[in-house]
Amino acid sequence: MKLINRFWWMLVLVFIALYPPTIGGMSPYRSGLLIFVGIYVILAVSLDLLMGFAGQISVGHAAFFAIGAYVSGILTAKYGAPPAPAMMAGMALSAAVAWGVGRPVLALKEYYLAMATLALNEIVVTLIVGLQRLTGGASGLRDVPSFSVFGFSFDSQIRYYYLVWAIVVLVVASSLLLTRSPFGRTLIAIHSDETAAKTFGIDCAGYKIRVYVLSAVFASIAGSLFAHYMGFLAPDDFSVMTSINVLVMLYLGGIGTIYGPALGALFLKLLPEITVRLQDYEMLMNGAILILILVFMPKGLFGILTEIRSRLVARGSR
Amino acid sequence: MGDFSYLVQFFFSGLTSGAVYALMAVSLVVVYKVSLLICFAQGEFFVIGALTMATLTSKGLPMPVALGLSIVISTAIGALVERVLIRPIQNTSVGNLIVMTIAISLALRGSALLVWGKESAVLPPFSATPPIQVLGATLQSQVLWIIGVTLFVLIVIWFFFEKTRAGIAMRACSENRLGASLMGISTQKIAIFAWAWGSGIGALAGMAVAPLLFMQYGSGLMPMVKGFIAMSIGGLGSIAGAVIAGFLLGIVEAYTIGLLSSQFSDTIVFTLLLVLLFFKPSGLFPASGRREV
Repeated sequence: MKLINRFWWMLVLVFIALYPPTIGGMSPYRSGLLIFVGIYVILAVSLDLLMGFAGQISVGHAAFFAIGAYVSGILTAKYGAPPAPAMMAGMALSAAVAWGVGRPVLALKEYYLAMATLALNEIVVTLIVGLQRLTGGASGLRDVPSFSVFGFSFDSQIRYYYLVWAIVVLVVASSLLLTRSPFGRTLIAIHSDETAAKTFGIDCAGYKIRVYVLSAVFASIAGSLFAHYMGFLAPDDFSVMTSINVLVMLYLGGIGTIYGPALGALFLKLLPEITVRLQDYEMLMNGAILILILVFMPKGLFGILTEIRSRLVARGSR
Repeated sequence: MGDFSYLVQFFFSGLTSGAVYALMAVSLVVVYKVSLLICFAQGEFFVIGALTMATLTSKGLPMPVALGLSIVISTAIGALVERVLIRPIQNTSVGNLIVMTIAISLALRGSALLVWGKESAVLPPFSATPPIQVLGATLQSQVLWIIGVTLFVLIVIWFFFEKTRAGIAMRACSENRLGASLMGISTQKIAIFAWAWGSGIGALAGMAVAPLLFMQYGSGLMPMVKGFIAMSIGGLGSIAGAVIAGFLLGIVEAYTIGLLSSQFSDTIVFTLLLVLLFFKPSGLFPASGRREV
């Protein structure tokens, strides 16, 4: 019971992962939408590890999303490589980039950190646009095949749905376990007071780099999944605007809670579907959401939900 | 055109973008000096200023009137943003403030998209003088206007900060906030003032360069980032440093585009930014008593 109490949100995710496409008889359009949601959940959760727990602001997380997507896309579409190793190559490259720039970037603070991460995002995007032969440039990379492992192809919508959501559950669960481990508590200590953490002999730079690499690898997985689902990649999907949208998901759901950003991704991706023809209003709405969250409810949607839940529990036990 | 005239031509285009970066850097510095805050939405004022002026001139208003009105509108938005959005969360974390300015940027850009749509606006040049030939290169009259506007802004700023009571109060605030407030200066009023200045200068930069660009709702990010680069090269709090660095950045960028690669010029500029930040990470912070590890 205690376990359920602690991981009750996990049940919701597992439910989403299992229920809709087969048992729930969901339409292909809706399950396609949920595949997108899943990909963004991974992206948002990976950013939460870096921002919410380690407290390192990033306005360029889409850089690693892009690396994952393009490495997968290029290796499979242009060189005929099998998707699973291609995905791992993307993860390796993302990890290498994060490792390489991590120490100097994470030594920065506040505005400089924000600007350096933004610069990293821009560098990746300008390289994608510039290296036309490899990436297809601004007109995009075509014909990325569907995902397959050991000859088993995830070519139908339902199969891919299960793949994506299985990875979502894995990523969320491992992130949760991580944040509740000594490693996670160290990150929180660094977040709340880096000087104090240093005084206790914690290797702050080392911890920050490790979480940065992990977060980059998760983002890269999301990118690979995106590439194989879309079949077509264009640089626009990986711009600073994407990074900022992930930031909105993080704050909307409740930063530093892992579940919150997952909820934020779900909410932000489904909202345009519920309200009719948002299109041009979307940017203004995202800005407005972020402003409202910052001013009125810094704990986000998840904060509200846990508040409601704890009140209900308190009432029930009385 | 000979090789030399190409070099001159690159210099002119460097001067043009350099002036814009300098103005953007100045607009960031003015806000930073007073509220220790770097506003990610500064590029939006650049866009809003230019698009407002384009709309007003297309409605038949004479250019100087349109320019003045557009500055008034932009400064009003800037002041309003400070009062309504920044002040309530002023005392939370710097991280929150950064995200708030990003949110403001999104909201303003989103509003610009709704008001002006996705098409780019065309603003006629400030004067219809034909381009002049200098050393074999073409110099458009608008470039002279841009440099003139930059000089004008610098003189006004200098006059304001050195000679007027409000300007001196603003400087006092940036030196020592608490001390200034103990002397009876309303730091909150000063912060609004600084935002008004910052957004006004940003808007002016946008208006000056609009005739040479295709300005649309999303054009604000790059000028803001380049302004930030100039500001950090120039040493954060220094207006003179920001101006020099802005021109330097513009000229270096123009020669990079001209001589090395137009495709990868932004890659190069952003890599330079990273290198700059890597090698001078803490040296770039002002000694404002903030804790540094």
